[in-house]
Order: sequence, then C-alpha cells, then structure tokens
Amino acid sequence: MSLAIPNGLDNSVEQPGERAPLVLGDTTYHDITEAVCQVAERKPSAGWVFGFLISFALLQWLGICILYLIYTGVGVWGNQSPVFWGWPIVNFVFWVGIGHAGTLISAILFLFRQEWRTSINRAAEAMTIFAVACAGTFPGIHVGRAWLAFWLAPYPSLNLWMWPQFRSPLLWDVFAVSTYGTVSLLFWYMGMVPDLATFRDRSTNKWRRMAYGLLSLGWSGSSRHWMRYEKAYALLAAFAAPLVLSVHTIVSFDFAVSQVPGWHTTIFPPYFVAGAIFSGFAMVLTLMIPARTMLGLEKLITIRHLDNMCKIILATGSIVGLAYGTEFFIAWYGQVQEEKFAFTNRAFGPYWWAYWTMVTCNVISPQLFWFKKLRTTPWIIVLICIFVNIGMWFERFVIVVTSLSRDYLPSAWSYFTPTWVDVSMLIGSFGLFFTLFLLFCRLMPVINMAETKSTLAKQYHMTQHGDH
Amino acid sequence: MSEHSSPAPKSADDPAFTLPASLAALRLPLCGGGLGVMLLGWWLARGVGEYGDNFAMSVYLTAAVYCTTIVLGSLFFVIIQHLVRAGWSIVVRRIAELAMVMIIPMAILFIPVVGSLWMGEGILYKWDNPGYGAEHGIPEEVWTEKLRWLDEGWFAARTVGYFTVWTLLALFFFKNSVRQDQTGDKAITDKMQYWSGPAVMLFAGTTTFAAFDWVMSLAPMWFSTMFGVYLFAGSILGAHCLLAVASFVLQKTGAMRDEVTVEHYHDLGKLIFGFVFFWTYISFSQYLLIWYGNIPEETEWFYVRQLGTWGGVALVLIFLHWMLPFAGTMSRHVRRKPALVCGWAVYLLIMHYVDVYFMIMPAAAEGAAGGANGVIASILCVVGMVSLLTGLALGLARQTKVVAVQDPRLGESIAFENI
Amino acid sequence: MSENNEKKVHGVMAEYTSVDTLLDACRRVRDAGYEKTDAFTPFPVHGIDKALGIKPTILPWIVLGAGLTGTATALVMQVWMNAIDYPYIISGKPFISLPAFMPVAFELTVLFSSFGAFFGMWALNGLPKFSNPVFTDPRFDRVTDDRFFLYIDSKDGQFQRADVEKILGDTDTDYVQTVVDDDSSDKVPKPFFMIWGLVVGLSMVPLLIVLKMRVSHSSQPRFHVFYDMDFSPAKGAQQYSTLFRDGRSMRPDVPGTVARGEMQADLDFMTGIDMDALSMIDQPRAERLVRKFNPLYVADAQAEQEATAEAEPQQAGSGDGDEPGGETTSGDAAADSPATDSDANEKAEAEPSVMDTTPWLGKNPLVLTEEVLENGRKNFGIYCSVCHGMNGYGNGLVNVRAQKILAQTWVPPSSLHQDTLYADKYPDGKLFSTISNGIRKMPGYSGQIKARDRWAIVAYVRALQLSQNASIDQIDEGQRESLLQEQAAVKKTIMEQAEAEAAKAKTKTSESEDDAAPEPEKDSAPAPEKDSA
Repeated sequence: MSLAIPNGLDNSVEQPGERAPLVLGDTTYHDITEAVCQVAERKPSAGWVFGFLISFALLQWLGICILYLIYTGVGVWGNQSPVFWGWPIVNFVFWVGIGHAGTLISAILFLFRQEWRTSINRAAEAMTIFAVACAGTFPGIHVGRAWLAFWLAPYPSLNLWMWPQFRSPLLWDVFAVSTYGTVSLLFWYMGMVPDLATFRDRSTNKWRRMAYGLLSLGWSGSSRHWMRYEKAYALLAAFAAPLVLSVHTIVSFDFAVSQVPGWHTTIFPPYFVAGAIFSGFAMVLTLMIPARTMLGLEKLITIRHLDNMCKIILATGSIVGLAYGTEFFIAWYGQVQEEKFAFTNRAFGPYWWAYWTMVTCNVISPQLFWFKKLRTTPWIIVLICIFVNIGMWFERFVIVVTSLSRDYLPSAWSYFTPTWVDVSMLIGSFGLFFTLFLLFCRLMPVINMAETKSTLAKQYHMTQHGDH
Repeated sequence: MSEHSSPAPKSADDPAFTLPASLAALRLPLCGGGLGVMLLGWWLARGVGEYGDNFAMSVYLTAAVYCTTIVLGSLFFVIIQHLVRAGWSIVVRRIAELAMVMIIPMAILFIPVVGSLWMGEGILYKWDNPGYGAEHGIPEEVWTEKLRWLDEGWFAARTVGYFTVWTLLALFFFKNSVRQDQTGDKAITDKMQYWSGPAVMLFAGTTTFAAFDWVMSLAPMWFSTMFGVYLFAGSILGAHCLLAVASFVLQKTGAMRDEVTVEHYHDLGKLIFGFVFFWTYISFSQYLLIWYGNIPEETEWFYVRQLGTWGGVALVLIFLHWMLPFAGTMSRHVRRKPALVCGWAVYLLIMHYVDVYFMIMPAAAEGAAGGANGVIASILCVVGMVSLLTGLALGLARQTKVVAVQDPRLGESIAFENI
Repeated sequence: MSENNEKKVHGVMAEYTSVDTLLDACRRVRDAGYEKTDAFTPFPVHGIDKALGIKPTILPWIVLGAGLTGTATALVMQVWMNAIDYPYIISGKPFISLPAFMPVAFELTVLFSSFGAFFGMWALNGLPKFSNPVFTDPRFDRVTDDRFFLYIDSKDGQFQRADVEKILGDTDTDYVQTVVDDDSSDKVPKPFFMIWGLVVGLSMVPLLIVLKMRVSHSSQPRFHVFYDMDFSPAKGAQQYSTLFRDGRSMRPDVPGTVARGEMQADLDFMTGIDMDALSMIDQPRAERLVRKFNPLYVADAQAEQEATAEAEPQQAGSGDGDEPGGETTSGDAAADSPATDSDANEKAEAEPSVMDTTPWLGKNPLVLTEEVLENGRKNFGIYCSVCHGMNGYGNGLVNVRAQKILAQTWVPPSSLHQDTLYADKYPDGKLFSTISNGIRKMPGYSGQIKARDRWAIVAYVRALQLSQNASIDQIDEGQRESLLQEQAAVKKTIMEQAEAEAAKAKTKTSESEDDAAPEPEKDSAPAPEKDSA
C-alpha cells in the first residue's frame, strides 16, 4: 500500500517521462493527517512562544504609533511637499505585492495543474490575507481622518449628499483591494473546510470539537459535496486568477494614469504584477523554509517545491529586470525631456543608493538561481529571498519617492526623509503579519491535507499502473 | 484518471504520425499559388493612388508582421513547454515546432521591409525621410537623438540580429526534437529543458525590441513601453489558435486520430480563452493609461485610430476580438467540441489580422486609405503569404513526423484528462 | 447490530481502505441498480461521479448569473452616481467615462461571481448542517483522515436491509454498519448561549451610545477630540499674522504680476479713464496706471528713460506704494486709483468739482444688450445688493442687520438713486472706478469681479436709476396697456392685503409679527412702477 521512497531522495531531479514524487518517505494518508495535525495539537514550542511574543510586541508598537498618528495628525510622518506619498504608500504597495503569491499559487498554479502547489498553497493563502490586512492599514490611516474612511464606500450619505468619484484610480483601488481581500478569504476558508473537519474529528476536547465543528459547517466528505466543492473551487480559481492580475494592475494605475514623469508609462500593469508575484514568492519562501523545519514538514514541503518556487522567482525577477530596462530605453527613445530626467535622476540623482539597492537585490541576486545547487540549498534560498524582499521594498520607494521629490516644478524639489514613526510603522506591520501567521500555524491546518492526500493517491496510482 | 488505463503509444513508424498524403500534395500548389497571390496583392496595392508605394509596403509589412507573430508565438509555445516540463502538450508540440521553423522563410520575406529603407526616402518608415523632423516641427536636438536609434544601418543590423537569435532557437529545438524521433534518447529532453530558461529570456528581449522597431517606429514620435507585450499577447493567442486549427485539419485528413483527444482541444480552448482575456487586459491597460494621461505625444496614436473608418475598426476589435470570442469560448461545452474550438480558432486568427492591421495601417499609409481595392490587396497579400508558409511547413512536415513520436512524455500526453 | 433495531434506520454503510476498493464497490452498487447512494472520502476521488452516476452540478449557471449581476450593478451604479445623480467633471473626462468604469465593473463581477460560487456551493450542498446521521458512528471520524465509506440510503426504491448488507459485504470491506438516528442530546450547551449573549450584548453597547448621542441634546459644549481639526489654525482673510513683516495674513499680488485674464491691452476699459486724454493732462499718473495693468510696459526705450527719471522723486515722495496692484489702500497707490478723487468729489456733493480733472469715460464701453444687462443684474445681485439693496436704495440685508444691532462703526451704504450719482454728474467711467477701487468704507471689487462684469454692473445701475425716473411715455405703445393693467392689479392686491392685515392685526396681535415679515418683499417689487405712474 505504501511507497518505498527513501527520505533523503532529491526529488528535484526528474527523469523525463516519470514524474518525481511530491510526497516523500514511506507516507500513508494517515501520516499526512498526523504530520499536519500535530502542528496544531501539540503544546506550543519555546520557539513559537518566543516568536509570538516578539511579533505581538511589535504589533502593540504599531498600534501605539497609529494612535499617536491619529491623535497628532499625519504630520508625524515624513510626508512633506512635494512627497505626499511617502512611506505609507510604499508600505501599502509592498504589502499588497506580498499578498499576490498566495492567490497566485492557489489559483493560477491550480489552473495550470501544477500539483506541487498542494502542500504550500494553504500557508501562502494565509500569508496573502495577512499581507492584505497589513496593506489595508496604510491607506486607511493615510487618509488622515481614519475614522471617516468609510466615506470611500458608495453609500447614500446623509452628511455628504454626494458619491465617490469613480473616475479616480484611488477608488478603483478601494474596490480592488477589498474585493481581493474578500475573495482570498473565501477561497482560503473554503479550501480549509475539509481540513477543519479533520481537526473536528480528531479533537478530544469538547470545546475544541465544537469550535472546529462550527467552522467546518458539518462537512461529511460526501462525494456529491466534493463534486460541487471542486467545481466551486475551480470557478473561484478561475475568478481569482484574473483578480490577482487586476489588483496590482490597479495599484499600478494609481501611478500610471497620472502624468508624473517616471509614473506615466504603459508597462506598469504587467511589470507591477510580475514584481508582486516576485516579492510574494520571496516572502513565502522566507517563511516556509524555517517553518517546514520547525514544524517537521520536510516530507510534504520537499526540495522540489523549493526548487520550483525559486524558478518562478528567477523568471519574475528577470521580467522585472526587463521592465526596468524597457523603461529606461523608452525614456530615452521617447525623447521627452521630463521622462529622460526622471530616469537619470533615479539612477544618478540623490536617491541613487535606493535605485542601485533595488537593482542589486531584484535583478542581480535572483540570477543566482540559475545554479541548481543554490536553488536546492535552503539557507541560501532564504538569504536570497530576504534580499529580494528588501529589493522590492526599495523598488516601491524608488518609484514613489524619486518621481515625486523631483517633478515638473524644480522650485518645489526636496529630499524625503522618513521619521521614526515611518520606520516604526513598517517594522510594526511586520509584527502584525507575523502575529497573524503564528496564530494561524497554531490554530489552523497549515497544509492542505485533502489535496495532498489526493496527490498521494495519484502517486500510488502511477506506481501501480504506470511503470510496471 | 482513476478509471483510465493509458493506452501504450503506437510505434514510431505508425502511419498515424506521418503527414497525410492529401495534405502533402498541397505543398507545391500552396507555395506557388501563395507566392503569386502575395505578389498580386502587392501589385494591386501599388496601384491605389498617389501613395501607392507607401501603401503597398505597409500592406506587405502587415502581412509579414502577422505571419511573424504567429511563428514567434509557436516558438514561445515550444520553449515554454520545455521550461515547465509540460506533459499534456506533447501530441501537439510538433505542429508548433514545424511552425516555428518558418522563421527562416520569414527572415527572407523581411528583406523587402528592410530594403525599403534604401529604395527611397520614407517609403515605409517615415523616420527614414531626413526631412521628417523639420516638417513636423520636432526640435532639432530631439530628432538627432532619435535618429541615433532609428538609423538605416542600425535598424537593419537589429533586424538581422533578431532573426538570427530566433532562427538559432528554432533550429535548436527543432533539430533536437526530430533527433529524438529516431533515438528516443531521454537526455535530449533534459538538454532542451536545460536551455529553455536562457532561451525564453533571449526570446523576451528580442521580441520586445522587434515590436518597437518594426511596428512602433512607424509613428516615429510615439512610444509605449507596453507595446512589446501588446504584440506578444496577440502572437501567443495566434499560436494557440494555429495549433487547434492544424490539429483539427490533420485529424480530419487522417493523422494522429487517437493521439489528440477531446481533452487536448479542451485545454487549447481554455488557453485560447485565457489569451483572449490576456490580449484584452494588455490592450485595455495600454489604452486606459494613454487615454487617462491625455498627453499629446501619446494620444496621437489612438486619436488617429478613433477617427472615421479606423474608429469602426477599433469597435470591431472591442466587440469581435474581445467580447464575442470571450463569451463564445467561456463554456466547457464549447471547449469540448473540437469542431467548435477549431471554428473559434479560425475566427480569432482572422481577428488577429485585424488587430495587426489596426496597429500598422493607420500609421503607415498616411493619406492613402486605399478603399475597397486597398482592402482586397491587403487580404490577397496576407493570404498569399500564409499559403506560402503553410506550403513550406507541409514540405517540412513531409520529411518528418507530425507528432514527437519518441518523446518520453508522449504516453502521459495521450492519457491526459482534464479534471 | 441488533441493538439498533428500535431506532430509525437511515441506511447502510461500508468502510474501505483505498480508492480502488471503494471505486470497485461503487461500480458494483451502481450496476445493481441502487440510485440513492453516496460515498464519503477524505479527498475528492476522480471518477467517482461516473462510478456512482452523479449528475453534473448547476453551479456554473448560478455563478454566471451572479457575475452578470455584478457587472450590471457596477455599471449602473457608476453611471448613476457620477453622471446622473451627482454629475461633475473630473480631469476633463466625460460624465460617463466607460474606460474609467471598467476596473470597478471588473472587480464587482469577480466579487459577485465569487459570492455566487461560494454561497451557491454551500447552499446546493445543504451546508451548514451540523447534525447528520452518518456522524453517529464514531468510526466515521476517520472519513476525514484515511478511510472511505460507501453508503446506501434507505429511501432508495429497492432498499432491503439484508440485500444491501449482503452486496456491501461482498465487496472488499471489513466493516458494514447500519446508519441510525443520532440519539445524542441535541441541546446546545448553556455556556454557549451565555457567551453568545454576552458578545452580542457587548457589541450593542457602542452602537447604543452612538444612537443615544444622535437623538439627545446636551447643554454641555461639544467635546473636541481633535481640537486643531475642529478649529483650523489657518488665518482668515483680514486677520493679523506674525508670519509676514507687514503683519497681514492676506498676501498682495507678487510685484510685476497680473492675475490671469486681467492683462488687457485696453486700458480705458480697465480703468474707466480716457487714457489718451489723461496722458495729456497728467503724464506720471497715466504712466503709473499703465504700469499697474501691464508690468511689462517699459519696453519703449524712451518711456523707460522717462520712467527712471521720474521714479526717483516719486519713490522719495510716496514710499513703496508705487508698486502696482493690491496695495490700493496706502500711499500713492490710492492716488493711482481714482477713488480718492471721487471721494473728494463725493464730499463736494453737487457739480463736478474743479479738483476732479480726471477725464472719465462718459460712456459704457460695452455694447449694451439684454445679455449684458442680465449679467449686470446677476453680478449686482451677488456683490452689491447685500449692502445697496436689490433696488439700490441702500437698504441691503447687511445694512438692515447693522441698523438692528446698532453697529457703531457702520457707515450706511449710499442710495444709488441720488442725482449726484446720475450719469451726467457721475460718469460711467467714474462709477466703474468706484466699483473697482472702492470708496470710503466700501472695498474695491476689482479682485473679485472681472472688468467686463463690472462694466455690466455699471450698465445695470444705470438701468436701475432709470427705472426710478421713467415715465410711461418711454414704454412702447403696445406694452403700455398691459402694464397699466398690471399696475392696477398690483395696487388692488396691495390694498386688499393691507386691509386684511389691518383686520388681522386687530383680532390677533400675536400673529401679526410673523405675517409682517414677508410683506415688505411683496411691496418692493412693484415699487418702481408706482413711482413711474
């Protein structure tokens, strides 16, 4: 019944004509259940408690900063004329970008039948939702009067007697990000229901059983249910895939529909999307590699998974690099004075350090993934991915700050300097992200058990019918 | 999958894998007739009026770009299948491989386009006319700088460069694939997979700049960073349509009847649907950004394309290149009927021509709409060129197989089932 | 199994350990003709729909409907909100900007479709459903782990318990069990309700506080959480500021600049003075006026020489007041503006004074059309009537209010119907200049009203003046009859109203105040007519 695949096998090598296994070791269905459930069922490890305390402290710090900001006013940020979109918007775009990997893995890789997604999609989807939560914070407080942010919604207001302005890309953003958050949540939750039912059926504690029982909606595993469930999942995937593209496309519209030099360029939509996937995968790897070791999931999240993700990072990193190049070329080819200046200024102006950090981290460092040795060494992957994350943050910084700080009006030029509140909020947002992620690891199934089991079933099937 | 027991692939010399004789017989008539029709179209186009030379060259360029995009789309398809180690597509991959080798005749067919730079001033590309800058009130320093890129010799060198890269890529993948037909060596698959990464990078870089050079520079002062992606979106859509049509025709004439199943049409249908959406996404984004920004340097391109007849063509693209096929290929029931998939593919190949026409003709044939004669000439020219290339591809197919018979994943491809 | 006999039997279930054994059993059961069957698996098993004969779901149609609803909702919403209910132009885009409406239309399509897929799926599956007979067997817990179950429902037409048990027993299974009613307690534990009640109750508290505050009044001053947002520290127009050396918060025009649209070549039009004549009489003043309206004026070499020659004595005499624009209240600039002259003139009251040598334009440079008069009436209504009154008698609302509160420093606005202000004594140009530069307490309006509109006001003032002195002979023959009739009718109504008023006043003293208020308004309209009669 079980397969004899040695534990240490390098399944990143694939013989043409044979598919390498995605689940390693002498694994049965029950082993998968055990491996995943023990993460949530055993007592929290010291490492988890330590990590949680630090993250939670950072989250509190974010909360204090937000209260201080709301009480004092947005002047506590470094945003000053002409850079009114400083760190908060950089952070927003950064986090939204991170939030792209999850749904991409769940939806697009699902549509392309990339089965290796099964053991990483759950955690990646969770990261999407947490990243969108982090992202949503920043425009929410950037509006100044955060408690009136609901004015963004098109509701019949008795105070305003007017409607939002649908020709503004910022309003498109409101719709895009909230739709994305909602659909990602539905997608994540729906995918989790069968696994929550597993949690329910395994729980020995009455309260735990009741809580998971409520969350799993009475899932019984009926074939009829599975059939509709799979249909709904495929449909949601089919909608989530263009949705992923649309979200960062619309974020790019925030910049590109304007006439600010360096912002108004048509490559922005695909280039932003590629960058978002790039950063999202980097973040997923940064978290998954330590997590798989600490949670003991090496058999399910294998080297082949890491290898594939590194390849996607390499591909998207190269697309981003090509887009940087194209932008530069067209700025020269177009011969519009302001555009030419904007790009020279990016690379050689006062923010040259940010630009070259971005190029080094985003274009050069992923090129190391051409080497298979580096793609399959976990600690090197983490290192490169951290560089990619830094680089992608700087990309947004370069786009937002260099263009705004030197626009059409030289008399208004200035140099943006962040304040301690700016920096604290960026760090604090990581606190929010990690707090949610660590809670997720404790309370929810971190790996999609049902899908992994069905991958295992195919693996059985292949060995029994395929190659004998 | 569970109920399915995969049939073993047929032996490599099975007649199902060779080009049916009925198609092979068409190769010479197609080549000869195609060449004739193409020249007839060109000749007709010359006669439309004062701007005849310009019009004829533009018509020719439209046909050439149309064919090149499909050929390039096929090349991209092959590279990407190797890159992701795809299994489902093996049965149709050879068709794309045959199509991508047509990049060699395309290189020859591009000689008149490059040659036009030396035949006179601004016959096709207006920047080739030294007086253009002054006539259009473009500042001297801007125009001088511009001509550093848009220079006859440098333009020709780049074109040669693009074709060299594509030819090398196409030959590499074609030769290795054909060699595997004989040897069945699995190492060949490994080798192709290994080189597909660098290949896709080379491909992306060259197509982006080819689009800038051949099409975007027709309006010398206009620019759009997305333009390469725009042309690519149509190109990859065209390639998938070509696969569907070619598979259907081959099956009708007797080849690979058991290999290409309804599942493959279903998948091609999904991809066609997806790329219709992708094309819409890219062209809409480009339009929206330029429309919203409303900067004169950029809006010029769309402005000309919104006036008069071109405005009508723009609407045709919106309704018939996007909405109609989008709605038409949405359903699973359509995608699982090979004849319908093939029908939509033919339809989209026609719409892709309208798209390329819309990109090139308004800018190229200034002041010479050509009227009905012009349209007929354009159609003759492109039909001729497509026939010529089809004939050549059939000739090539006759010397080899129509399926990659020894590919190690052929069994997986044949047994493939959609969820 | 016998102990289950007394309970209601829902069906029979068998357990399997692999996909293949389950599929095999499914096919057998299907071939035996059972229809109300179901399989329970830990993961979706492909091919089981065929093995069990399950029909495809209608979910895609639900989703299509939801998606189209989303698109339609988004488009209708945007068009209605931005083009119909509250239309306004933004960045020069049309009211209905389809390209700009696409992103939101797309997002809502996806959102609605996703809701359709998500909620549609649960609804079709009949979930959530927390009590299910199949859960009764503790062994069924492993269905979400590694076991597969095949179930035949007792509602099936050919369900015979013994047959079913036999056919299931023949398959590759170790365990066949009847599914019976769940007899465990169906009571929800009490703490659940307590917690639920507590959460709901607590969540209502903020809402109730807000609601209470919205419907109740308080004598306490409002609590200002964000004081500087409620009371903006930004300076008002006429306030003092320590920021600038001159102590004013309002900034004068930058020297050498002219407001957009105000740079006019026709200086007569801008000043109300016949500049040719002025340059004959008073060359320096003409120069200054020219420079005020056209800062670029020094191009003429000769003029430049003259200007520099004259600049010295002038600046010595009058400080920096020579700078054009804005500073009309001080020094030489006041001399620039003819207001001072007219001010002096005003005091002299009657004849054009010998001191006012300014060659004012006697005639309005605008071509007087009905449109111009209408424009004048509109602008007079906006800017002048608040003090001078709608009819020009100086009884505007501000004056009424000032009289009521007995404002100490208030100088009552002039009535425009005094003969010193008629065209023969107060030329159009001078009136224009007064509107532009102000007089006594009246500020200049050149910054607020465009020159063309000021001339239109002049024209309207003339019309107003004429209306108070016109005779019926000046009216067209054809219109006289109807006018007289109208006059008679108005008079009659006024009389009637006055009588009714008087009667009312006698009976009810309390209501008279309320009714008196609208009365003067009714009076004021026909007033000019009365005079003319």
